[in-house]
Amino acid sequence: MSGDEHEIIRPPNTLKSKVTYGPGGVDLDALEKAEAVIAGLKGSYLEWVQDDLVKLQEVYDRALAGQGDPRDNLREIFRIAHDIKGQGGSFDYHLMTQVGNHLCRFIEAAEELVVTGKSELAVVKVHLDALRLIIAERREGDGGAEGQKMVAGLALVVEKYLKRKKAAEEG
Amino acid sequence: MTGYNLERLNFLVVDDNKHMRALVKTILHALGSKNVLEAADGADAFKELRHFPADIIICDWNMSPLDGLDFVRLVRTGKDSPNPFAAIIMLTGHTEMHRVVEARDAGVHEFLAKPISAKGLYSRIRSIIEKPRPFIRTATYFGPDRRRKEMDYKGRERRKNSAAAASTPAAESSSQETGLTQAELDALFG
Repeated sequence: MSGDEHEIIRPPNTLKSKVTYGPGGVDLDALEKAEAVIAGLKGSYLEWVQDDLVKLQEVYDRALAGQGDPRDNLREIFRIAHDIKGQGGSFDYHLMTQVGNHLCRFIEAAEELVVTGKSELAVVKVHLDALRLIIAERREGDGGAEGQKMVAGLALVVEKYLKRKKAAEEG
Repeated sequence: MTGYNLERLNFLVVDDNKHMRALVKTILHALGSKNVLEAADGADAFKELRHFPADIIICDWNMSPLDGLDFVRLVRTGKDSPNPFAAIIMLTGHTEMHRVVEARDAGVHEFLAKPISAKGLYSRIRSIIEKPRPFIRTATYFGPDRRRKEMDYKGRERRKNSAAAASTPAAESSSQETGLTQAELDALFG
């Protein structure tokens, strides 16, 4: 097959024979009940995220002690932060998603520069402290004005790190 | 009120995070699904497909040893794939434009951004039910029609590489750094 040719295939629609439309199906009430079931898992979420925070602290401690490759440590931190980002919002902890995302974006930016370890870990630490505070104080939703102030503060820390790093590399 | 009954559909949930698997499974059960199987990575999931005829696969991206993207490619184009036509929803926190285009070009049907909600997941399932898509085979792609709308198109295949797709207006209007919103994802997939 050359680059310009294409074949259209119509697979059998197996879903059509299995899915019926009618009473007892998924309607607005069913969706609201499903959302309520998720909300009912909030207690479990707080346990899961606590485990993630412990893991994050462990990797941070290992990295600070100079164990392992700095890039590998950052990647492990990224993986845990990515899980935190992906779960918080489902349980009305949108601020966890926001800060988790912020930490992921920082690590992506840092990986493009020379990773020394200590300076990156200082930025990781403020994110870790923020995540822990959100859970400890049960700051649900976007955390209100204080929550957004926290995110703005984290953005400033990252900006300062990137400026210094780039200046050092250019100089 | 009425709606789609999902009771007879087979779902395969693939995620290396057991809490995410539990969350997705809980939502599917709450929506009336009975047959939900779990797998912890792409390799496990591919094994499960040999004996579990999944109608809809919901898979994460970051998994080891076989990640979500490789798994999708294996399902679509693997010589021993049990079901190359299975509907696949990519469920991930990676919503940056280049990632989304990559997933689409691997052959996913739908893209759902984490964190998820019951409404978000159901809307993707409903889209798969209501808009069955033909499959397209080109020299570089096999998967659901990326144009979505059915049309008798005889011209040149334009979307054979991601660079072309990335130059769509939807791509240009979005920030690569912050990731796309679900509405932007819908626009790209629609």
